[in-house]
Amino acid sequence: MEKLLNELSSQCKPAYSVKCDVEINAEIPENLKRKSNLGLPNVAENDLLRHFTNLSRRNYALSTVFYPLGSCTMKYNPLINERIAKIDAFNDIHPYQPVESMQGVLEIVYELEKDLCEIVGMDSFSLQQAAGAHGEFAGLLVIAKYFKSIKQKRTKIIVPDSAHGTNPASITFAGFEIVPLKSEADGSISLEKLKEVLIPEVAAMMLTVPNTLGVFEKNITEISKLVHDNGSLLYYDGANLNAVMGIVRPGDMGFDVMHINLHKTFSTPHGGGGPGSGPIGVKSFLGSFLPVPRIEKRKNKYVLNYRKSKSIGKMKAFFGNFSVILKAYVYVKALGGKGLKNVSKQAVLNANYMLAKFKDKINVPAGSRCMHEFVLSPKAILENDVRTLDVAKRLLDYGYYAPTVYFPLIVDEAIMIEPTETESKDTLDKFIDVVNKIILEEAIEDPQKLKNAPVNTPVTRLNEVEAARKPILKWQ
Amino acid sequence: MDYTSQNQNDKKQMLETIGINDTYELFNVIPSHLRAKDLNISCGKTEQELLNYFSKIASKNKKLVSFRGAGIYDHFSPSLISEIIGRSEFWTAYTPYQAEASQGTLQAIFEYQSLICTLTGLDISNASLYDGATAVAEAALLALRVSGKNKILISSALHPDYIQTVKTYLENSKTKIELIPLSEKGNIEKNIAETFIDEDTATVIIQSPNYFGIVEDMDVLSSLAKSKNSLFADVVNPLSLGIFKAPGEYNADIAVGEGQVLGSPMSAGGTTFGFMVVRKGLEWKMPGRIVGQTIDKDGKRGFVLTLQSREQHIRREKATSNICTNASLNALAACVFLSGWGNEGFYNLSQINISKARYAFEKIKSLDGFKAKFDKRIFFNEFVIETSKDIKKINKILLKNNILGPLDLSTAGDSFGKCLLFCVTEQRTETEIDNLVEFLAKA
Repeated sequence: MEKLLNELSSQCKPAYSVKCDVEINAEIPENLKRKSNLGLPNVAENDLLRHFTNLSRRNYALSTVFYPLGSCTMKYNPLINERIAKIDAFNDIHPYQPVESMQGVLEIVYELEKDLCEIVGMDSFSLQQAAGAHGEFAGLLVIAKYFKSIKQKRTKIIVPDSAHGTNPASITFAGFEIVPLKSEADGSISLEKLKEVLIPEVAAMMLTVPNTLGVFEKNITEISKLVHDNGSLLYYDGANLNAVMGIVRPGDMGFDVMHINLHKTFSTPHGGGGPGSGPIGVKSFLGSFLPVPRIEKRKNKYVLNYRKSKSIGKMKAFFGNFSVILKAYVYVKALGGKGLKNVSKQAVLNANYMLAKFKDKINVPAGSRCMHEFVLSPKAILENDVRTLDVAKRLLDYGYYAPTVYFPLIVDEAIMIEPTETESKDTLDKFIDVVNKIILEEAIEDPQKLKNAPVNTPVTRLNEVEAARKPILKWQ
Repeated sequence: MDYTSQNQNDKKQMLETIGINDTYELFNVIPSHLRAKDLNISCGKTEQELLNYFSKIASKNKKLVSFRGAGIYDHFSPSLISEIIGRSEFWTAYTPYQAEASQGTLQAIFEYQSLICTLTGLDISNASLYDGATAVAEAALLALRVSGKNKILISSALHPDYIQTVKTYLENSKTKIELIPLSEKGNIEKNIAETFIDEDTATVIIQSPNYFGIVEDMDVLSSLAKSKNSLFADVVNPLSLGIFKAPGEYNADIAVGEGQVLGSPMSAGGTTFGFMVVRKGLEWKMPGRIVGQTIDKDGKRGFVLTLQSREQHIRREKATSNICTNASLNALAACVFLSGWGNEGFYNLSQINISKARYAFEKIKSLDGFKAKFDKRIFFNEFVIETSKDIKKINKILLKNNILGPLDLSTAGDSFGKCLLFCVTEQRTETEIDNLVEFLAKA
């Protein structure tokens, strides 16, 4: 057990200090002064270093284990990205510096916008959004503003039940109502069912392609036509873009608005839950609605343009998570067009290789082919009250992070696996063997082993129910 | 360079296992008329080429001695911070859904929550939000949810980007947003605010120190909000809380703010993080992740994500927010930052900001052509100076000498036409300040 900071606190000399080199009387009136104890711990630098280093060692991370987390695209985070992002002349720049003193920053944002347009077939991009869900929200606000501008009252958004939870949450957040659409067993959309819900109030339909079961939407051309014939727009959730780069572009499929997760497809790290970046791309007729400021190039000089009367406004302060944007741009320059295409080919090959090894043993509701990820449903073979959660916890014992479980919601006991392109065949082979061993052998011969798992982790299975029932949310 | 490792032999074996001859067959399901042409993006670079390429782009940025704040600040970052957030076990980890394999991240967030609570004097902190601006917008939404009311009142001395963000977030709701005008003294006066607040006001949102640097009388404004059963939400600079009254002391319901000052570099405005902390009773309405303490099967202490039924992955369209990815690594930096000062050291850090800013203020306002816009007001590390000189010319001269001069406030409203917003943190030395003053005197 690693102590908490308040338990480490002592009468020692704390780690940091600063001195003042000016002399001045700067008295503060009593009524504005803090009276309560700050309550900060007193820990020496040496002990703090050990504390946080020890904490880091209680994590599974991409740098230590295979992380086959479906839908999250846990690909290798290139070290050169981090090295470049640490350059002082990128880090120590104030967002309100005169533009002539930060041309490098603006160049990177501008050029990445341009490259993203090319990769996904859109006309304009905004990199201001801080995460995928933030991008969804911005994209939906753009859609709302567009319909307002053409004086159409459209209040509803169609979303399939296989979608990520952020889709419905973003729809409500943006002031729309949800029209749920039941997807087929493989997560695909039935044209007949779609026709039933395509009423005049529908502003847009949100789609994840390939869908969350890893299946490409084969009727996309027809879906696009139906949606547009209804006067509605089509939104692309870019969570699964890693499957199709250089193969097919959302813009060419008929999508009008989309978001990308730079922290998935473009190799920037997840940081234990952020920061991320959720750029949104739109077709030209929606360009004027993007957030301000827009970065423009005038006579070889990059400038910030705040004067956009139709813009949805600002999604956050300043102009985006620049350090994430920078890392993603380094990645694009490292790969080039050919490399990006190879990424998707290899990601899809890796996933299909794994699927081929599983499909005769464990049920795969979406069939024997997939794109960059696939979903197993071991329900039929799990006995003795063993559940997918137990399989996931047992995988931790073998030194793997667990795949995404119980998602998508339309699959029973789902195990969602996304290997990404950066894992070797050897890593995949070993993982496949372990999953088969757990589900096909251990679960049957020694179910208690799964129920008791994990045992090789810093703590054994944690009581989540108790945590929610009697919340302890800070030091006692 | 594409970071894949399979050789031809691997690929051959994989294709055989799948039962196909070429990877392209896996894409057969995609209609041929939709297939992409070759992407027009220049071919890949090696690591060495990348370093050269980006060093060249970096050289088009100028690292300056900063006297500018307005939301992003140049502060000292202890060496420990880059060491810890540079540990790949932290930065390459995912959101800690598998708790047993994520105790490092989870305990660090729990410590972060504890530190933010003790600093603000409030009860419950979440694991972080995107930034200060979005944290304010989330605070407004939280208040609207809790109260069922339809109006929010915002200080017009809230950072303009934050006001804009709140407006964007609430664009499609029926919420009425009203701004409380600034008094001539540069603060929000109770008697002015009083004329705006009514029974339908869900929350009163006040920034202190405000956009113009002035510390507000939060006691008075908080009481006013309470008198109409409105939630009092404050936007605070966490570094100022070493000296100035904490949100808990004036009975704030919600405290939010920008966390960049707690150990994150300026990075052209991102990445940073937003913090949010609330009084007990509001936790189930809060957006974002929250970490809680629990025990494992053997009775050992451990940490998990908790109160998750508020969140989008469980609650979908009924979630308190759509937020998923937040800014965990920046919150970790804040955790490492806040754990190394001790009470006295942190108080001292706050005090040095006040002293240095005061030192610069006294010198600048006594120069010919410069005067204090709001004299005799209490400020933290920013202040407004009015000048009769040419602002553009001043900043040009300063820039030529590698100084990032004060922010031109002419866009902040008519009464700020000839005004400058200065910022002086603990980073600025006496020599740098004196140097600035000299340039101003000559301008």
